[in-house]
Amino acid sequence: MKIVILVKQVPEADKVAVDPETGTLIREGVDSILNPYCEYALDQAAKLKQEYPELNIEITAITMGPPQAKAVLYRCLELGADKGYLLSDRKFAGSDVWATSTALKEGVAHIEPDFDLILAGKQAIDGDTAQVPAETAEQLGIPQITYGVDVKLNGKRVEVKRETETGYQILSTRMPALVTMSKGSNIRRIPSMKQVLDSRSKPIETLSADDMNIDENKIGLQASPTQVDKIFAPPAKIGGEIVDGSDPKVAAQKLLNYLVENNYIKR
Amino acid sequence: MLEVNIEACTGCKVCERVCPFGAIVVVPETKKAKVLDNCTLCGACVSACNFDALSIERKAVSEEELAKFNKVFVWGEWERKDGKIVIKNVALELLGKGRELADKLGESLAILLLGKEVEHLAPSLIHHGADIVYLCEHELLEEYSTDGYATVISSVIASEKPSVVLYGATPNGRDLAPRIAARLALGLTADCTGLDINENRQLLQTRPAFGGNIMASILSPYTRPQMSSVRPNVFPKPDSDENKTGEIERVNVNLKPYSIRTKIIEEIISHDEGINIEEAQILVSVGRGIGSKENFKDVENLAKELDGTVSGSRALVDLGWLPHPQQVGQSGKTVAPTLYIAFGISGAIQHLVGMSSSDTIVAVNNDADAPIFKVADFGIVGNMHEIIPEFIKLLKEHKQRN
Amino acid sequence: MPTNIILAEKLEFAPFDEIKSVKGDMIISESYPSYLVDESKISAGNAEWLFFPTTENEIVSIINKMKEENNIITISAARTGIVGSAVPFGGAVMSLERMNEVIGIGFDEDAQRWFLRCQPSISLDEINEFVKFKKCGQNQSIPPESDWAEKFLEECTMYYPMDPTEMTASLGGTICANASGARSFKYGPTRDWVRRIRVVLGTCEVLNITRGEYIAEEGVFTVKTAGKELIIKTPDYQMPRAKNAAGLFTEPNMDLIDLFIGSEGIFGIITEADIWVKEYNAQMSNVGFFKNEEDAIDFVKLLRDDVNLSPEFIEYFDNNALNLLRDKQKIDPKFVNMPNIAKDIRTAISFDMSYSEEDMEKVFTQINGILQKCNSSLEDTWCVYEDRELDRIKHFRHAVPEIVNNIIAERKKQYPSIHKLGTDMSVEDQYLKEIMKFYQDSLKEEGLEYVVWGHIGDNHVHVNILPRNLEELKKGKELYMKFAKKAVSYGGSVSAEHGIGKIKHDYLEIMFGEEGIGQMKAIKCKFDPHCLINCGNIFPMSRCV
Repeated sequence: MKIVILVKQVPEADKVAVDPETGTLIREGVDSILNPYCEYALDQAAKLKQEYPELNIEITAITMGPPQAKAVLYRCLELGADKGYLLSDRKFAGSDVWATSTALKEGVAHIEPDFDLILAGKQAIDGDTAQVPAETAEQLGIPQITYGVDVKLNGKRVEVKRETETGYQILSTRMPALVTMSKGSNIRRIPSMKQVLDSRSKPIETLSADDMNIDENKIGLQASPTQVDKIFAPPAKIGGEIVDGSDPKVAAQKLLNYLVENNYIKR
Repeated sequence: MLEVNIEACTGCKVCERVCPFGAIVVVPETKKAKVLDNCTLCGACVSACNFDALSIERKAVSEEELAKFNKVFVWGEWERKDGKIVIKNVALELLGKGRELADKLGESLAILLLGKEVEHLAPSLIHHGADIVYLCEHELLEEYSTDGYATVISSVIASEKPSVVLYGATPNGRDLAPRIAARLALGLTADCTGLDINENRQLLQTRPAFGGNIMASILSPYTRPQMSSVRPNVFPKPDSDENKTGEIERVNVNLKPYSIRTKIIEEIISHDEGINIEEAQILVSVGRGIGSKENFKDVENLAKELDGTVSGSRALVDLGWLPHPQQVGQSGKTVAPTLYIAFGISGAIQHLVGMSSSDTIVAVNNDADAPIFKVADFGIVGNMHEIIPEFIKLLKEHKQRN
Repeated sequence: MPTNIILAEKLEFAPFDEIKSVKGDMIISESYPSYLVDESKISAGNAEWLFFPTTENEIVSIINKMKEENNIITISAARTGIVGSAVPFGGAVMSLERMNEVIGIGFDEDAQRWFLRCQPSISLDEINEFVKFKKCGQNQSIPPESDWAEKFLEECTMYYPMDPTEMTASLGGTICANASGARSFKYGPTRDWVRRIRVVLGTCEVLNITRGEYIAEEGVFTVKTAGKELIIKTPDYQMPRAKNAAGLFTEPNMDLIDLFIGSEGIFGIITEADIWVKEYNAQMSNVGFFKNEEDAIDFVKLLRDDVNLSPEFIEYFDNNALNLLRDKQKIDPKFVNMPNIAKDIRTAISFDMSYSEEDMEKVFTQINGILQKCNSSLEDTWCVYEDRELDRIKHFRHAVPEIVNNIIAERKKQYPSIHKLGTDMSVEDQYLKEIMKFYQDSLKEEGLEYVVWGHIGDNHVHVNILPRNLEELKKGKELYMKFAKKAVSYGGSVSAEHGIGKIKHDYLEIMFGEEGIGQMKAIKCKFDPHCLINCGNIFPMSRCV
């Protein structure tokens, strides 16, 4: 059985800030990491490989990004993937959701045309659109299940526990299919020295648009229906009154007064 | 491709300073700008360059072509409450915003209503601003499915040619919208916090990125319709006008069971249906600072005294102390109550994006440097475990006095 | 040519009234309580005066005024010390917090090394931020006419490798304490990283000491001041060969700068320091797991003796420490952000190394050989190298003391006088196995609750005794004394990194005896004749005779 995981390298989002004066991103001390939701997809793939040894599951990690995005493929290879592919080309620059999913679709079709299951994170923490996996599934013409928290295989079908607004639902669909993960184990795994060492001898290949015979007009800025008009710092909210709470009685009284004054509690 | 006109470039480094991604530098030897591999073609440098030395080549589409598209569409998502089908608040919020956009464009506002038996919702949708209700009823639309809903909506869009389509960024909305966008090769902007029409009659879509640390405004200049998703509670719900009229247009739906490839095996309601943090007026929200599950009692008591609802940060959901539907934040729900009281929540950016549009924010935290205080209207630096019991006591006394 | 004679420079007094200060013990204890405590958590002290000087002239003016008022002076900066050195008992607190700038950057052409010149109150975090992100301005070259600041921008990423865990510690504090920490296993203590200091003495004069310029002759330094010559006799006791932060440093023909480094501020106030910075290598954090203690200690010995491997540090966690983590993880998985540790694991060894893709196979194969000899394997050993993962392992290392402190804080509610008994003792290499067994056996025999963790690479583990009641506190104290005597008999130190401060005087005596302490006092009385500065650190407060 063949599982493809689609992964993305992202900056640690909570450390990114915008300089209010210049409007530029402050990048000092911000690391690039494997998107946490992609890590859940990787985790789930590794778990399936362990749970269904009879299926001889092979995991292929695919990412699109600049050359340094190779680092996230290493992490995938350390934690269970068997091979990694980096789709990297200046021609991909400026890709929006649609153009990105086109490139990924072409990549999957070129690298692993007879895949059974694609696992992806529900969204990337930098763009937060949560749209690329579903658009890739549509372009590949396969069904999707989003917001998965647990995945089971059942013959030719995949069964997914999916988060809903009121709880969960169990959905089932025929493979090949794409599933996005919104949760996984609470604690990120740590690879062993053996896994790190072994990963260095697993294959990683970098593919350009030409390597995959992708039509230049379908990727990059040219093919992107959306365009960034401008980027700016969010308006800074000025904090209100802060009171010392070392005496809980006094603080509680001040809180009550505040809520009464603002009509949240009747006078 | 971002092109540098070497002749025009003076090496002034303005582009270097404004690039959000550090993707353009002035090479010291040549004193000319050079574009690096991580350029995303966002265009920040192009508008900043004083010497017209930078340009991005973009394709052009005729205005005639674009003018064929008109009408603003909203997806009318509904839900079941106590067995009854009711429209979701976010759909009404979108009608409010949609009305504003349609009026600016001089176009009409329509809502797409899909389901098995949902016609009864139509009058209220008209009262909330819709000029047209596209009623798409079918056996196979009884429950949401990616395939069924995407197919029906795509075909209505293809035949009706709207200029704008808006979706609620709910789990199903986020499942559905990209599917349609990919099928029709359209742009789609997720989780917009601002929507407007610019001087070129384009939809100006503003959204946060990097967990809210930066804002971006997005256009879809060459494709129609322009599609956006909007999180619940971002726009206000419009008032209902019983006198407003509109038409119901029934759409002929042709679906076969095999075209819906995903089946629902089981539906699990994991929490009290009465709790809906998205609609609560007062939220008492807790974070890691609560320390232990036992301490929830105090928080629940307080919520009861305030007629509020309990919600929490992701940490508590991860710990299994709070069901996921009560989670506020990026991976949970966006809320905008009139009063949000945060106890022991430090206020990571992922949390703030989910609650910062609350009318009033009160924060109690023992760490004076906690980022939550930056958005709080009233903050107490102190121990929540000491303050909550005192507050409940005072509140009870206050109520008795009055 | 080195000499044993140094000239002291006289300083003008700044107008006393213009120095930012707070007067009155009531107002200080009410509005400035944080200046009366440090991380030792010993009961808060008290002070009449609180000063915030910004220059050496202000400092001497304060000393002069306090001499007139017969007030002692306690020097204060980040107050991260854990032996009470910054806690004042009467007199004045001199907080150096406003002297917290990087003065400049220079390159020592003789040593072929980069150095940073800083004011004393800058934190180690701030130093690293300055160095790593090369935040130097063009006017920050040393000497000013050079262009080192510009050249520094072209250097590779640099850092200051001292890491006493608490990176908010001030540079001045770490020099006075000769701070070390896990990484001193590879890089040595702070002493090895100080190029030069300026220090204002209790005589209101300043010494400018560059390493290598002032070397003792037959155990004597001569300090020439305006009025007279001070003859400083270096102590003649034997220093332990093991890692040490107890008492004054001494050795035959010692460098004058070493007398000040680790002196716990009893001679004067460091107002400026040059520290070496070095090239930063990417790091890799590993944690090995062992089913018994002996295997773990064998692993430590084999790892540190291996000539091909050069770990940054080797840290130890006993089964009780691991159990604290296991228990905490059940209630708060995010606090202990790591996978579960298998039930049959009794010891963990954390070791960092430099990260290199090229050498990976060779290094890992070598480590694999050692692990297998110790009944463990590469499969059982965690390995991370991304920055956020390195932080995670760092948090894992620091979680144990944090949990211990929380437990003690909880117990204090029932028994206010209960406190943690944390040892800080080192021994010579060959006694590692013996001392570890001695600790474990004695603790088990007494039935006390304890954890053992720390810098095993330097034979320097911290035994933390967690008394459950006052009787156990007493028992623990007795055991502490027993451990101290044993450590000294194994060529070790009673305080390998925390220092003596105000709370470990008794243990110092085990090491150097009354005579040794007398020699230290004699030096203090020369440099600080009115016995004003940091009295009570190293030895009990007493006036010079």
